[in-house]
Amino acid sequence: MARDYDHLFKLLIIGDSGVGKSSLLLRFSDNTFTGSYITTIGVDFKIKTVNIDGQKVKLQIWDTAGQERFRTITSTYYRGTHGVIIVYDVTNGDTFANVKRWLHEIDQNCEVVNRVLVGNKNDTPDRKVVLTEDAQRFADTMNIQLFETSAKDNINVEEMFMAITRLVLRSKLEMKERQNEHKDIVNLKDKKRSSNKNKTKCC
Amino acid sequence: MYATKQPSLRINQADLKCKNGCGYYGTANWNGYCSVCYRNAMEIERQNRPRSSQARPESSKNPVSEFTKFEEKKKQQTDKKTKCLKNLTVFRKSSSAADYVKPEKHINRRQVNPDADKLMTEFLCKYGHFEDNLRKDFLKCVHHFTNQLCREINVKPIDELAETAQKFYNLYNSRVNSNPLYQNLTPEVKADLEDFFEKHVMITLYSWLFCPSSTNDEEKDLSIQDRIRKLTWVNAQHLDCCISETSLEVRDLVFTAITDLLGMDSVKAPQEKLQCVVKCCRSVVEVLQQCQGGPVSADEFLPALIFVVLKANPARLKSNILYVTRFCKEARLMQGEGGYYFTNLCCAVSFIENLTAESLNLGEQEFDDYMSGRVTTVSAWDSALVACEGMHQLCEHLTLLKALKEQHVTIQEEKNKLMEDIKELKNHIKSEVASIFERTPLTIKPRKTPLPCQADSKPSTGSLMANVALAMQSADKSKLNLNITPCITATIPEKVLESLNSSVFDECNLESPEDNTNINAVLSKVNYEIDFSDLSTDTSTAEGLTPDKRISPTPSFTADPFSPIGANCCVTQEPLIPLSVPLQMPSGKESERKQNVSVFEDVTDNQEEETLLDKLDRVQDTPVTNLPLPLNPTKTEYTGFSKQGSKIPSIPCNTGDFHSLETSNSKRD
Repeated sequence: MARDYDHLFKLLIIGDSGVGKSSLLLRFSDNTFTGSYITTIGVDFKIKTVNIDGQKVKLQIWDTAGQERFRTITSTYYRGTHGVIIVYDVTNGDTFANVKRWLHEIDQNCEVVNRVLVGNKNDTPDRKVVLTEDAQRFADTMNIQLFETSAKDNINVEEMFMAITRLVLRSKLEMKERQNEHKDIVNLKDKKRSSNKNKTKCC
Repeated sequence: MYATKQPSLRINQADLKCKNGCGYYGTANWNGYCSVCYRNAMEIERQNRPRSSQARPESSKNPVSEFTKFEEKKKQQTDKKTKCLKNLTVFRKSSSAADYVKPEKHINRRQVNPDADKLMTEFLCKYGHFEDNLRKDFLKCVHHFTNQLCREINVKPIDELAETAQKFYNLYNSRVNSNPLYQNLTPEVKADLEDFFEKHVMITLYSWLFCPSSTNDEEKDLSIQDRIRKLTWVNAQHLDCCISETSLEVRDLVFTAITDLLGMDSVKAPQEKLQCVVKCCRSVVEVLQQCQGGPVSADEFLPALIFVVLKANPARLKSNILYVTRFCKEARLMQGEGGYYFTNLCCAVSFIENLTAESLNLGEQEFDDYMSGRVTTVSAWDSALVACEGMHQLCEHLTLLKALKEQHVTIQEEKNKLMEDIKELKNHIKSEVASIFERTPLTIKPRKTPLPCQADSKPSTGSLMANVALAMQSADKSKLNLNITPCITATIPEKVLESLNSSVFDECNLESPEDNTNINAVLSKVNYEIDFSDLSTDTSTAEGLTPDKRISPTPSFTADPFSPIGANCCVTQEPLIPLSVPLQMPSGKESERKQNVSVFEDVTDNQEEETLLDKLDRVQDTPVTNLPLPLNPTKTEYTGFSKQGSKIPSIPCNTGDFHSLETSNSKRD
């Protein structure tokens, strides 16, 4: 099929409100910062095509509301998501503490999904309260990659997005391989099921 | 349904069969019967039941309590059409004979589908230029799919139908991408075709797939509607959203968003509904941009959307969402702008459904008070809604006034400009006229042209005959001038004539009270004479058809074919002779007749007699040439002429008036 991309991935940005999810998104998609920029359309939904290992990957990034009270209802966002970016604010300890809850949320809504942990606002060392070591230790225990970024100063943002894209792409290709292996079996099953269905239709 | 039963397969196979033992499978839905047996059983039951209970479920012995509750809620529903439609479904539901109406449905679908024609037109419009085969294939697929779904509508639960629909979308997708028929199409057209496939099928089957009777979608609709109604007191502050409820622009945008959201119920295809959601959400984003003047993040967007949904309270919200979720192409819902905003809408709705005191940052007690209506808030939004009409009108009037003011100013300016223009034009014309007067001061005095002739004839004048001759001469000589004269005399304003006359009269010391009438008479006479004068000397002599001629009738004065009188009568002389008689006759006698003309005539004649007698031998001024005005417009001659000229006009009148003359004659006799 002739398309302007080889893969289309849906990424989700989650995290407490005010950690800079939108800024990250804005920085990545438009290479701008919220401060003095007025977009014509909301930043809550962005599309960007990146090139990874010669493959064109179209990224669709969905921003989510981070407020506590919306926590329970955001499950619908997870449908069909390929990768999740969990963001916390390095200058705010509470947001880091909440990461565990966000991870739990992901586990509840998706079976297998690629994740990265992002400590944003990493541009003023004086105000930094979440130490890199602590974050790294936590990330290791959760088996998740950690990035410390700054949307304001454009530090590590691109790298972070590329990393999650790579993760997603790799798992997709793996999945495809696995599917190819089991293709015949799946087909048989399907056939069986459909024939079964035909039988059950009585009138 | 069957699939969900799979785990319980361990029960006896026979239990799954139709209770009637017909060999087909039965389902719990149909009381363990297969569909045919169930239908028969229902039929029998229906016949056994009294008719009234069928028609009016409320009066039946086993009134569904839930139904009455339902009915109550229904009354609250504003949408009349929906109400009608739903009542029907309720009826079906309560009679629990969904099966029974099945054949009707099929007939309906085939008989009248108001959208079928529209769809076909759109199809032809869009793809009419495609090959026949391709179009046929498309329609074939559509029909196949439609029929397939139709067959399953009453057999399978809605979720399975949705699965089937998704399967068909995928099937068509692969067909479009693999079938050689479609291979010449660009990817865009292919995607478009797939969309249209979805749209076509969904619009055709809309009434069966949207809010189907087999589900409790409708109850959900009513409960969410009720819920939103209870939450009217929630304002932007409660939701922590920055919508400024008092700003006019923001309010307008919010209304736009609300309208878009409400529009979702009026379109039929899932993709169209999705488009409405996208439009609404874009408006919401715009609202937020207006309010906070920067990019909008999901942290702000979701509360704003919730606010809009709360204020909009769209009809059949839940049905719409479920319909889109079930029958919209899955890929569309999971990605793209439409998918994103739709997901947000779902979140907003579920937030509203699960809303607690905590989620609004309120105390339990406070929340309860609000919900039960013990405490009511007057939010800016509500008060604005109350005052909406007035405010809206005020705003409209203000803008109207502004526009009018502007218009007024422009009109004023234009007016001033026009005034100046007029002034300028006036001055211009004035100067033009003045310059023309300066340049050609003499051209407007063509009467003077005969003057040289007059001068020539001056010495010879002294007698009436001489004047006549002179007139003839001048007529000959000044043919060209004569051509001009009529125009001038004809066009010369009365004033000029008057002044002319009056001056003439002054000269003659003859003040005639009939000045004006005379002038008129002269004018009329002049008009005649123009005709004559143009022609020949003969005519000019004919113009001597004046009292003078009585005194000395000329030989040429016989037949005047050109004179209006002469043209009518062959003997023109005849009246002249009798005319002379009444002229000498005392006016008193004639006064009996009291004809204006004759009165003038008398008076003038009398005067004429005098003047003639007195002035005949006088200077050339006095010799009363009765020659027509245009012929001899010279002052000097006119004095004489005009003196009599005032009498002249009456004469032809009289001459023409044979009867009057005759009668007067006879009277005299």
